[in-house]
Parts: sequence; C-alpha cells; structure tokens
Amino acid sequence: MKDLLRLRTSLTEEIEALLNEQIKMEARSSSIYLSMSSWCDRNGFDNSAKYLEKQSGEERGHMLKLFRFVNDMGGKAISPEITDIPQEFDSFKGVFELALQQEINVTASFNRIADRCFKAKDFMTFQFLQWFLNEQIEEEYVARRILELFEVIGEEGTGRWQIDKNIPGVSYGE
Amino acid sequence: MADNNYSQLIEVFSTEHGTVYQCNRNNNFVVEFAGNCSAFKTGNFLDFTRRVNAINLSEMAKNTSRHADIVILMLHYTERCFVLTMKDVIRLKELLCGAKAMIELNSIVNECLRQYAF
Repeated sequence: MKDLLRLRTSLTEEIEALLNEQIKMEARSSSIYLSMSSWCDRNGFDNSAKYLEKQSGEERGHMLKLFRFVNDMGGKAISPEITDIPQEFDSFKGVFELALQQEINVTASFNRIADRCFKAKDFMTFQFLQWFLNEQIEEEYVARRILELFEVIGEEGTGRWQIDKNIPGVSYGE
Repeated sequence: MADNNYSQLIEVFSTEHGTVYQCNRNNNFVVEFAGNCSAFKTGNFLDFTRRVNAINLSEMAKNTSRHADIVILMLHYTERCFVLTMKDVIRLKELLCGAKAMIELNSIVNECLRQYAF
C-alpha cells in the first residue's frame, strides 16, 4: 500500500507540532523584545530601544526560517496567535534579566526538539536545527554580557546612561 | 488490507459503522460513515481526525441544554457538514483513530522495507 503519510511530508506529526510550538515561541519572543524596546524608548534608553528593536526583528527572522522549513518539508506551518505580552517592566536591569531568561528558554526548547529529532531519527530536521543551536550560543553570550555591564559599570549616578551607551557595542566574536 | 486494483481503493480500517479507504489513484482517503462518503487529502484527514478527537464527550454528556446533544463540524476542505450525536462521535472517533493507527503502521512498514529496496 502506498505510504501517503510519507508522500505528504517527511515530518512526523510530533516533530511538526514541536516545530509549530517553536514558531510560536519565536514569535512571542519577537513581540516581547518589541515591547521591551518601547519601554526603553519611553524611559530614555535610546540605544537599548534600538538594540531591542533589532533583536525583535532577528527573532521574527528565526520564526520565518522555521515557518518556511515546516512548509518546505510538506508540513503545515501555523501562523501563531500571540497574546499577553507584558508592556511594563520593573527596571532597566529587569528588562535584560528577562531577555536572558527568554534566551535560556529558547535554547532549552531547541535542545528538546533536537533530542526528539534524534530519537525519531529525523536527521534532516536535526541538521536544520544546528543553525539555531549555534545562534543560541551568540544570543545567550550577548544577553549575559549585557547583564554584566550592570555589575561592571554600576547603576548609580550616570551608570545607566553609560550602560545604555555601551549596549549596542556588545557582540560575540568566536 | 484488501487491495483492489480496479478502483485503487484499499480498505484501511473498518468498523461496524464505517470504513476508511485509501485511494492510490488520487492519493487521498475516503471516509465512509453514516451512509455517506467524503474524500480527504492526507493533511486534511489528519486535521479531521484531530478535530473529532478534540470533541469533549464528557462535556456533551454533562451539559443538559438541547444544543449540547449534537456537534456540527463544518470543514472548509469538504462539502459535507457533519452533524454528530454523541453516539456518532464515539463511532467516528473509533473509526478515525483505528484508520490513523493503520496509516502510521503502514508508514513504519514502508520505512522498514525501504532499507531493502536498493
């Protein structure tokens, strides 16, 4: 009997569902970064606002990369519904603590999917995920480095102004 | 699974109340249920199965209002409108879940056979 399941897609139902969840996670991440950008802009942290807006665009790029992959493999990519995005944050430092936590969650999620792909012997998706796992090294490094600025420079006096000034310069060099 | 080369319809799974066939000519699935036939592409068949499985039977049983006695499924990929009583839902769930398991089993068998194909 013809294998219509395989003719339709190389993705199993489970992996397709996991990838769609990840699409949602990236979209949510993009929305939160945008909301953080708005908060920073309202509170006078212009450089951070620009940096976070750029991050938001990157997360959306990640979402679209996953989205296209699911469709290219014959699956059904689902445009996610995103609600309950926080619009207010406790503090300037709190914004970046949340950003790091978000990146840690994304890494954990990609690790889980990679693990499932390996167990399901879906090496095409496993290979595809390598790009994201590499990307997470940079994302986590930058988020952690930015948080360290709060310790190194300190928030007193013109500290926050200095931190804001230095944020766009934080980058990862392998 | 009996193979019928003439019609290209292969019985995938059958219960007292219906049958799911695979059509090898059109690459789709035909669901025969309650005296009617409906054809579904693979993705739509899986989606239909998901939607039927998502029907909350205990909620139907608990809810005393008259509208809770039936579920109406209007799906964009089929012209048929499914008006299901609780009994129909149970029967359709049984049919679709059985068919899905057989389709997945067929996929696993094919995957195993592929390693000997070349």
